[in-house]
Amino acid sequence: MRRRKKKQQKKKFRPVRYAATPVLGATDRHMVSRFSYGTTPELVREVQAAGGGLAWFEQQLASAYADPAADARIGDWWPDLHLDAPTLWKRQQNEVRAVWEVMADYSCRLMVRRMTSPHQMLERMTEFFEAHLHVPVNGDKQCVWRASYGDVIRRHALGRFDEMLVEAITHPTMLLFLDQAVSTKKAPNENLGRELLELHTVGVGHYTEDDVKASARILTGYRVDAWRTWAASYQPEDHWTGPVQVGDFADANADADGRDLVRRYLVHLAHHPQTAQRLARKLAVKFVRDDPPQALVDRLARTYLEHDTAIVPVLRELVRSVEFKGSQGLKLRDPSEDLVATYRALGATMLKPQRDEDAANAMLWQSTVIGLAPMTWPRPDGQPLDNQPWATPARALASMDIHWSLAGGWWPKTGVDYLQPTDWVPELPMRFAPLVDHLSRRILGRPSTRGILKAACTAVSVKPTEQITADHPLMRWHFNRLLGSFLDNPLHYGR
Amino acid sequence: MTTSPLPRTPADCACPEFRGADLSRRGFLRGLGLAGATMTVGSAVVTVGPSAPAAAAGTSNVLVVLSMRGAADGLSLVVPHGDPAYYAARPRIAIAADRLVAKDGFFGLHPALSPLLPLWQQGKVAAVHATGLAVPNRSHFAAMEAVEDATPGSAERVGWLNRLIGDMPGTSPLQAVAVGSAPPSLYGPQPWMGFDRLDEVGVAGDDQWDPTDDRLRSLGKMWQRSRSPLAPALRSAMAAVGEIGPAQAQQQRSKAFPNSDLGKALSAVSRTIRGDVGASVITVDQGDWDMHSDLGTLQWGRMQDNADDFARSIAAFFEDLGDAADRVTLVTVSEFGRRVAENNNYGLDHGWGNVMFLVGAGVKGGYRGTWAGLDTSHDADLTVTTDYRSVLSEVVRTRTPVSTATVFPQFSPERVGAMAGV
Repeated sequence: MRRRKKKQQKKKFRPVRYAATPVLGATDRHMVSRFSYGTTPELVREVQAAGGGLAWFEQQLASAYADPAADARIGDWWPDLHLDAPTLWKRQQNEVRAVWEVMADYSCRLMVRRMTSPHQMLERMTEFFEAHLHVPVNGDKQCVWRASYGDVIRRHALGRFDEMLVEAITHPTMLLFLDQAVSTKKAPNENLGRELLELHTVGVGHYTEDDVKASARILTGYRVDAWRTWAASYQPEDHWTGPVQVGDFADANADADGRDLVRRYLVHLAHHPQTAQRLARKLAVKFVRDDPPQALVDRLARTYLEHDTAIVPVLRELVRSVEFKGSQGLKLRDPSEDLVATYRALGATMLKPQRDEDAANAMLWQSTVIGLAPMTWPRPDGQPLDNQPWATPARALASMDIHWSLAGGWWPKTGVDYLQPTDWVPELPMRFAPLVDHLSRRILGRPSTRGILKAACTAVSVKPTEQITADHPLMRWHFNRLLGSFLDNPLHYGR
Repeated sequence: MTTSPLPRTPADCACPEFRGADLSRRGFLRGLGLAGATMTVGSAVVTVGPSAPAAAAGTSNVLVVLSMRGAADGLSLVVPHGDPAYYAARPRIAIAADRLVAKDGFFGLHPALSPLLPLWQQGKVAAVHATGLAVPNRSHFAAMEAVEDATPGSAERVGWLNRLIGDMPGTSPLQAVAVGSAPPSLYGPQPWMGFDRLDEVGVAGDDQWDPTDDRLRSLGKMWQRSRSPLAPALRSAMAAVGEIGPAQAQQQRSKAFPNSDLGKALSAVSRTIRGDVGASVITVDQGDWDMHSDLGTLQWGRMQDNADDFARSIAAFFEDLGDAADRVTLVTVSEFGRRVAENNNYGLDHGWGNVMFLVGAGVKGGYRGTWAGLDTSHDADLTVTTDYRSVLSEVVRTRTPVSTATVFPQFSPERVGAMAGV
């Protein structure tokens, strides 16, 4: 009796294919789910046209810097991001607009770029390295210089790490953030000297406290005229001279102008085998799994060193590894990834914002509600790459909240075009099970399963075989509940 | 809109455990959570009854762990005015002895901590100085990890609070609660709950327009057996939602809470405790103590602001608790302390030893700890004489039924004397 019932159940929730809506195979889907910001019909077409996930990956690399001018126009909706440091400061003092508001623009623009840019790989790697060389966007001190720092990272994100490191560490925003801009030779401030070793290059356990002190001395001489003109300069009289040694880097440091020494020191650190290990591990944690095998890390590190710190060869090695192939479903989207992927999955069109409550601005609050807006991680180590910090009860409830309001189009209401129920339905009338399959393909990037169908049926109290017409209650009142059952599927939380 | 837009048909309920269900909504939510906690699958939803233990746990003790992120300068908060090296090493930022409060022959509190004086005078505040990790670790991140795991040498990432709740009686999904961002000390196999704002805890879509609980049942189908990295947390959250009502029903009582992150967080902690929802461990993470520059003086700077917020928040918290204060012990932890000598920027670089505060029930008030004497060289540390785990062990031993050997494996605590009855 029981068995028969079970059999009936099984038959009842058998998925029905809606093949007209294309999906990628598992391998290709895995590639784009790690290296894009979420599935869209355009992305699926793009990957199919390229000839598969790996071909798409190569195409992304080849085209990333093809047209920087066009790239710079993507989401260029916030004019204050083009203002220089003294102007931003003057505007804050005159109460025209506070620097933190301009930084909110910055976080929003990052999300719009991730949402809309055709160069998804460039966005991905910019995000990775901007977090690795993290300068938070909260704090007046460093933020007047912050926007141009992002451009530096972007320019090198698919280039060479040694070049990126030299430009980033000596950028005024970094000097201000980690107190290098006020360091003196009399009492070198250790903040940047330490984090450079611990976070940006060799990592904890691979330097001594004497190394930290020498590192701080090497970096003395850079000044930023904070709270006044914000002018950045190099002052030889502030540079500590005399022999320095950090690990196996030694220098007489006799020249009062230490800038070339700094360049050599940073290039040395970028080429250090421990830096290679650290970057290789972080890339593997972000793009493969939280506990990458050491063998993979070693291979990536070797490739990095063999290619003079070039990033692209490392990524090529990573995506061709068996470890990458075997890592499907193991990574959780972080808060802003979740938000961006949700807008993309919903086919929502972002518009240039006119007011604070418009979607492109409201995204800042939405990602904050889920857990973190881009570049607002308050510490210099950059936001976590592993799952655990985002696998919390508070995040689960907050994500459901944001998904629910977006599924219903309730918040934000303006500055965005949502699809309407009639846009979602490929034909009318149609039965519920094939509609669920179509939505699964669109939102989750894969055909429906029994579980997906069951959850959808439960969410809106509709039977799989039920005929959906234009005036069915689903179409009139409950479509948001149906969309919600996809956005809160565990698969939508993964990447 | 006050009613459903159209009459609802009874749910087309597919799975047997819900058919003809007389389960309460709370029981269902709880079942989800416990299925996650114990890895039970299948009929867990029907076999786990609605909560009884939560109420019984209501009379038990509560441990509140406040993490002061960024490495607070303990020498500014609890000033060793009797050590001349303190004044020699800090010509600009030292606090003059005559400005200190609750002063004894050697120590005194930062004047911005004055709001704590009533509690101090009742003997409910202890300051244990020169505590920390057994060996210096000047990395914020590595030190935090070491402090919060509290299992040196173990590769396993399980926090000490997770081990603590693992050994506590009671099954409330609100047994451990993180207000604000959750500290790694909570991470581990035991479920816990976290929220930013108490009043907003709930499942979106679980509302009056869904009288047949379609939303919850749909979520249950997707998540009950899910192996997503988020699944255990989501199930814990759903279970907690079913139990948190009594806490949400409590009102803030004290008007003295500062309008700061810490003030708001401690207000929510108080309501959670007063709501008797079975919370035994509550964490609050509060940041911004990393003062390489502009720590400042008594006239200006970040220390006076932070100290003021810290003291007013804690004072308001104990006032707000009322009678419930009798079962609440608050302890502070910071990843390490700062250097003895000030730097050129009215700040302090990374050091070693620090102060820990204990406030509330069971605390033996006053200054505690062993002083090794300060040195004035530019990279001198406050030498740690008390392992921070010895301090926490006293709290665990006197306020919980759990063995300290479980919470701090391979560690033999030394007597600190900061808690009564040790």
